[in-house]
Amino acid sequence: MIAARPRRRRRLAPYWEVMKVAIAREATYRFGVFASLAAFFMRVYLLRMVWLALYAHNAAPRDLPLHTILSYATVALLMGLVLDIDQTRALHDRLHDGSIATDFMKPISVPLFFFADGTGEVLFRIILLVPALALALTLVRIDVPSPAVAAAFALSFTLGYFVGFFLNFILNCTAFWTLEISAVQLIVTWLTDLLGGEIVPLALFPAGLARVAYALPFAAMFSTPLCIYTGLLQPAQYAGAMGLQALWLVLLAAISAVLWRAGARRVVVQGG
Amino acid sequence: MPIIETVELRKVFRSIVRRPGLGGALAALFAPRYEEKAAVENVSFAVEPGEIVGYIGPNGAGKSTTIKMLTGILVPTSGTLRVAGLVPHERRVENAENIGVVFGQRSQLYWDLPLRESFNLLRSIYDVPRERYDENLRRFSDMLDLEEFMDTPVRQLSLGERMRGDFAAAMLHDPKIVFLDEPTIGLDVLAKDAIRNFISEVNRERGTTVILTTHDLADVERLARRIILIDDGRVIYDGALERLREEFGTHRTLVVTFARAYDEIAVNNAVVESREGSVVRLRFDRRMTSAEALVREVLEKYSIADIAIVEPDIESIVRRLYLDGYGSGDAPA
Repeated sequence: MIAARPRRRRRLAPYWEVMKVAIAREATYRFGVFASLAAFFMRVYLLRMVWLALYAHNAAPRDLPLHTILSYATVALLMGLVLDIDQTRALHDRLHDGSIATDFMKPISVPLFFFADGTGEVLFRIILLVPALALALTLVRIDVPSPAVAAAFALSFTLGYFVGFFLNFILNCTAFWTLEISAVQLIVTWLTDLLGGEIVPLALFPAGLARVAYALPFAAMFSTPLCIYTGLLQPAQYAGAMGLQALWLVLLAAISAVLWRAGARRVVVQGG
Repeated sequence: MPIIETVELRKVFRSIVRRPGLGGALAALFAPRYEEKAAVENVSFAVEPGEIVGYIGPNGAGKSTTIKMLTGILVPTSGTLRVAGLVPHERRVENAENIGVVFGQRSQLYWDLPLRESFNLLRSIYDVPRERYDENLRRFSDMLDLEEFMDTPVRQLSLGERMRGDFAAAMLHDPKIVFLDEPTIGLDVLAKDAIRNFISEVNRERGTTVILTTHDLADVERLARRIILIDDGRVIYDGALERLREEFGTHRTLVVTFARAYDEIAVNNAVVESREGSVVRLRFDRRMTSAEALVREVLEKYSIADIAIVEPDIESIVRRLYLDGYGSGDAPA
């Protein structure tokens, strides 16, 4: 007789292991680490040149003195070290080559598995922040906000991180139907760069466009934390701005859940 | 009580019909027409604990669709199935704890990390008690000679080494049932042998039930006593390997090397299968004539240098079954 094992409560140990394995995996690509650090230094230098040149020939906007815009640009690049990671790329890869089937043959929650994997990658990349931050503080001399503002920034950045996470997850989930997502992903990257305020603060946009951009999830990733950091948002405005971030977070998480369920259903009904 | 049981299992896929050319592609994009195709059609079988079953069929016969339903990642269109007492697609996670899977074409090991790390991760995923894990790892390492490349990143392993690793990975949690899909594909003779020994030992020692799908019938001859032949989504034979040979392996071949050249060779109740120089292969049905009678006739008529009788191998029997169909098995050649 074969007795069915009693249903156990979900163990977190496997996901913890998956995360550690992902960190170890990232650590094997040392060249990638140095290359992205070098790319970071270069981008900081180039953006600094651009802003210096622009400000040398134009009057500075009222809210954005030179040191503010340089802080803004450099902190945006620091955030990009973490936010530009496509944490759930593994999902797309495994849908693309069909190995997703073997993941479903394991006694795990498959989305949690990918989440743990991506978190491991992010945690490893966070190490890069140490030298990058040192550079930003010593060479660019970015503004250092008060502890209260820094705390608000940290909270807003975390919200933005998860907005980005679910945005990527949704894109990777579309591979359930299309298998190929690189074109869509490229468009979203451009939108994040421009409308998210990663390169140019939305405050410099024409008023109409800025209003639209502020309302989009891309701004929730970059612009909101950056405006808190640089003081473009006043403490009285924090609640509203972070509320909008939270709204996007909940909405994107809900869409992710729906897409995942439909995608997984497609695998089990249509065979992927 | 069977450990695997399927009753009239059926799986229908819906796919878009594409007509050729650009027009067809555009039509499929905007106004798709669907077509339904049964990949598995009324498949019923039962497997007892501890059996090794060869699940055999040509490409597209429905083998992997069946395996996917048994592993719980595909929902059947109709019919019922139970694996170790569970309905797999309703209890995917619990079912996953009962089974192990090896795909010859796909690895479940972490590409960038040493073999040991992948095993460790699997220990955690399947919640294998530490002692049991150490014991299994030691045993498998002995059987498959894993020790020498245990700390090598998987991407640097040869195919044979990687497959040995994959087998150990699939068995670490003591699954009741293992599904092996083309486990020896692309391996050299030595590696095939190591894998086959491993399967048969695990089956004997632990009573693990093995479902083996393969194109290499040598795997089946070596491991399975029972085979299920599937073609076009239907079971066309289910039974002992020996019976298959008895019932359908009715043809033997007499290989004759003639001492001198003959223009024409004619022997009663035998068909010339091939002729290369002085070597002629004569095929006969053992129910129509005996080898003894055939040899006597050949010796009477011709001058002979050498003579041999070749038994049919499973491969040629199965090939004839696919080509001629199950029903014509009794018909003479």
